[in-house]
Formats: sequence, C-alpha cells, structure tokens
Amino acid sequence: MNVAEFFVNVFIFPGGLFAIMLGLLLTGLDRKIYARLQRRVGPPIYQPWLDVVKLSQKETIIPKTANYTAFRLAPLLGFAGMLAAIAIIPVTGIYSGLYQSGDLLVVLYLLSAPALALAMGAAASGSPYSSIGLSREISIMLAYEIPMLIVFLTVGMRVGMEIGGTAIFSLSSIVNFQLSQGSLLLDLPMLPAFLAFLICIPGILGVVPFDIPEAETEITEGPLLEYSGSGLAMFKLTGGLKMLVLSALTVALFFPMGLGSFWLVNLLWFIFKCVVIMFFTTTLIRAMQARMRIEQAYKFYLLFPTALALISLVLTAISFRI
Amino acid sequence: MGELLQNIVKKSPWIYRINAGSCNGCDVEMATTALIPRYDVERLGCRYCGSPKHADIVLISGPVTAVVKDKVLRVYDEIPNPKVVVAVGICPISGGVFRESYSIANQLDAYIPVDVNVPGCPPRPQAIIDGIAMAIEIWRKKF
Amino acid sequence: MSKFLKVILKNLIKGPSTIKYPFEDSPAPEKLRGKIVHNADACVACHLCEYVCAGGAIKMQESEDKKGIDFVVWHDTCTFCGLCEYYCPTKAIHLTNDYHTAHLQADKYNYVEKTFVKKQPCTCCGEPIVPISLAMVEQIYGKEGDIRGLSKMCPQCRRKILWKGGVSKL
Repeated sequence: MNVAEFFVNVFIFPGGLFAIMLGLLLTGLDRKIYARLQRRVGPPIYQPWLDVVKLSQKETIIPKTANYTAFRLAPLLGFAGMLAAIAIIPVTGIYSGLYQSGDLLVVLYLLSAPALALAMGAAASGSPYSSIGLSREISIMLAYEIPMLIVFLTVGMRVGMEIGGTAIFSLSSIVNFQLSQGSLLLDLPMLPAFLAFLICIPGILGVVPFDIPEAETEITEGPLLEYSGSGLAMFKLTGGLKMLVLSALTVALFFPMGLGSFWLVNLLWFIFKCVVIMFFTTTLIRAMQARMRIEQAYKFYLLFPTALALISLVLTAISFRI
Repeated sequence: MGELLQNIVKKSPWIYRINAGSCNGCDVEMATTALIPRYDVERLGCRYCGSPKHADIVLISGPVTAVVKDKVLRVYDEIPNPKVVVAVGICPISGGVFRESYSIANQLDAYIPVDVNVPGCPPRPQAIIDGIAMAIEIWRKKF
Repeated sequence: MSKFLKVILKNLIKGPSTIKYPFEDSPAPEKLRGKIVHNADACVACHLCEYVCAGGAIKMQESEDKKGIDFVVWHDTCTFCGLCEYYCPTKAIHLTNDYHTAHLQADKYNYVEKTFVKKQPCTCCGEPIVPISLAMVEQIYGKEGDIRGLSKMCPQCRRKILWKGGVSKL
C-alpha cells in the first residue's frame, strides 16, 4: 500500500469525509424515524449537517476553571479515534481494511476512545455536573466492555479454530471466512453473541435507556455541559461516526455478504444494512424505553449481554472440543 | 457566503428555557410546544437543550424574582453569542399580576436585552411558535 | 415492553399528527379568550373593568382636552381572565379568540387596544357627560313613560327631573 492510497483511505473514502457524511446521514435518519415513531414530523434528514455548520459558527466559551489544553484536545481525541476505527473495518466489495492481522483488538481499543475523550473533556472542564457525568460514563464503559470483549473473543475463536486451530483477531480473515463459509449468523452457537453485541450498541452510543452520563434533564448533558461551538460540533461528528463504526463492525463480524461485484450496489447494500442495524438497536429502543438509573444499567450489562456472550463462548468451545 | 450561512443557520436554532420564578404555567406550555406531537418544534430544526452553552434562543418565563435575578443573569452570560431572548408570558414582560410586589426585582428588560415578547397567561403553544419564528428571523441576521 | 412496541408501530403507520402551524393558520375555538376589543360607542365609562382587572391592564383616564375618556388595555400585562367582559354592564368589552400575541420588543409599549369614549353636553345643563345607552336607562328606570330623553342627561339632571315627576312633565 503506498502513501497516497493510505491518505485517500483514511481521509476521503471510506474513512474521513465519506464516513462523516454517512455518519451524519445515519444520525439524521435516526432522528427522523424517532420522530415518526412518536407521531411527529421531525427534523429533515439533513438536520445534523445544519447543526454542525451552525455550531462551528458559534462562539466557543472556555470556562475559567477549565484546563485549556485538555479541554480543547478532548473532542479531537475521540474524533481521531473514530476516524482511525472506520479506516480499519473492511467493507465487502468496496474496501479491504488497512491491516491484515490483529485489527479487531485495535478496534476494541479505539471504540473506547470517544468515551475516554468525553471523560477527559469532562474532567478538564471543572464543572460538578460534568464530573458526575464522567463517573457515570466510566462505570457504564466498564460494564459494556466486558460482554463486548467476550463477543470478540467468541468470533475470533469460532473463525480461528476453523482456519488454523487458534483464535484469530483479524477482521479481513473473519470477513473472508464468512464469504466462503456462509454468515456467522446462520451458526446457532453464534446467535447469543450476536444478540449480546446488539445490546451493547446503545450503551456505547449513549442513547436513551443508557444515556445516563448525558442525561439532559438531571445533570444537564453531563460531560458536554461546558462545551460550546466547535468543540460541541466535534462531539456531534464523533457521535455520528460512532454509530457508523458500530454498524459497520456488526456487519463485518456477523453478515458481511456483498451483493454482486459492482461497487455502487455493494455500497448501497452496506448503507442499507447499517440503517437496519441502527433502527433496531438505537431508534426502536430509544422510542420505547425510559432512561435507567446508573446502577440498573451497570447490573443489566453485567448480567444479560455477558451471560449471552458466555453461552456463545461455551457452545463454541464445546463444538471444537477444547 | 453570508446569505448561504444565514439560510443554513436559520434551520438549526437550539432552545433553552430559563424559569425566573415562574408559576410553571408557561413552562408547561413551552414543554408542550416541544414534546407534544401536535406542535413539534423539532420540525423547524429546534431542539430543547439541557445546557445553556448549547443554546441559541432563550425562552424566559417568570417575573424575575429578587432571589432568582442574579442566577438568571449568570446563566444568560453563559450562553454563547449570537443569542436571542424571548420573554414568554406576561410576567417577564411587565410583571403581570405580580407587578410591584415586594419580591419582584424589576421587569426582565431592565437587565437583559429582550428581542421578542409573547404575552399571555400562559400564551397558547401556537403563540410561542410564533415568537420562536420571530426570534429565528432576528437571530439569523446576527451571523 | 411489547405493549410499547405495539404503540410505536401503530404510530408509524398512522403518520404524524402535527399541525402545520407557522405555515398554515390554526383555527382557535370560539370561546378562547384572546386579545381584547373595546366598543367605545357602547361604553358608559363606569370604570368597573378597571376595578376588577387582575393584571392592572385596563386604564381609563379623562383625556387632556377633557372632551372624553381614554380607554387603554395593555395586552402585555393582561391575563386574559375575562373578568372585564363578565362585569361590563353594557358588554362594551369583548375578548376575541385572536391568540397571535407574539410581537417584537420595539412594539412592547404600543401593544395596546386604545379607544376614545367621547363626551356630549347634557341636554339639560350643558355639562359634558358620557351618554348612557337606552337599554341601560330601561334597566334603571323601567319601561313606563317617556324615558328616551334621560339617556343624554347628566346624573344630577336625571335626578332633578325624576323628582319633578318624569320626562313628560319637563
């Protein structure tokens, strides 16, 4: 891979510019469908773009108590992490990913970047509400990382045992394995792991049943409280990218099938799959659930998704007689 | 460029509510404009936000009591420019039935530059939407 | 949870129930209490509305040239309670169902209903007074006899004439 191709992949397509557009489109669709589920008209689908443009034009206020460097750097950190993650995940028929081995673990680390960036910004802003949000953000992160890790382990083991007798954490081999052997979703022992991963998505995105760190009615948006103008715009972009990364990751891990060989058809098919995942994990849950308390969410994540993922792990292990 | 920016910006005003000692009547009507599907301000691009630092249009209700006056001024200062103030209900506009009471500091426009008034006790949700539409027109010209 | 799923899926099928308000007018119910209109011809300047007004919105004052009475309702402090309409003896005040009350700050002190109740000289002594309506006269003095002339007299003259034995003896 030469340098020019690397830059195009990371900054224009499929990472960078294209990913930002797609992420904002997902956010816009989410808001529109959410409004329709509540019998409202809702904002237009292009609303997130308008919001980002507006926020970038607003005055940026930096609190007196804030640590300037950390406060300004935090939004960039999360944004960069998500940009790197989207450049790693392969999309069938369009893009094969940046690396060939161990990239699933890198994605796992990068997925915690937005949450850590939020925590960093909250700690730097010096507001009491932000620090409550920070503690909640970290505790919910600890809760959802465990089932997510087990799901990754299960997928890696399932594919790796079949190919080489040891767990494999390479997204491109996982995708290629499924393209030749059929989707992992059709494999019965993998179904609980799939469900567990879907349950983790709203927690990572921080949407309604699990938006405890950013609860706007009780701690006035928590870590985002002190952000205004361009910093807030960056966080909004990161939110859109996070949605895209998680849908793309679900597609790559469980059903990466393409549709023919023409790239445009593949791209539209991929976007369709992302929208479907977003609808079922984010919009639908958001429209019918109320916000949990932090200890309820913590218990929930340590019980259900972890149990589902463990069932999957044990079943997979039994099927390979380890 | 300025014209284009104004047209983009006018579709994304975020709203913040300040209760300056209101009886909660106007607050309920303001929540109604946002939350009840019949009025839905989100179709105008509005969003009620929890933090004053995200706000563009401020809706203030209540007669600005002596106790809450300093807090209102402080929260108002935290809102980034450009911003527009809408006084909702007769209390912030003139004091209403509480005018000349011992616990009322003064009318709102004695402390903060108000741009739009929406009288009523409480005003109808449609009147609040009218006020927001007027405020958006003022606000976009500040970019 | 399944109950809510049913509700929101039904919502999706039913479609939005939002009114298109700022782009399309939304009719108000007939009985809604909105902006006040004042009919100066029916007004007898009894100051009852000024007395009952909860928000202190109504002000009646003799004009500077003493040719009549200025009637002012400042909508920015009116609670739209309807007490003035209820107590008005001649129903000169009416609360319409016009709810479009939003206005710019520049119009704050002009956002009023302002009328002028004209005074006429008393047909008996020439003192400028606000004539009362015929219906009022009937309500006070009954329907018997010729009472039409009483409506354009000042209270003192009315009293004198009634003591003498009615308008017909004038």
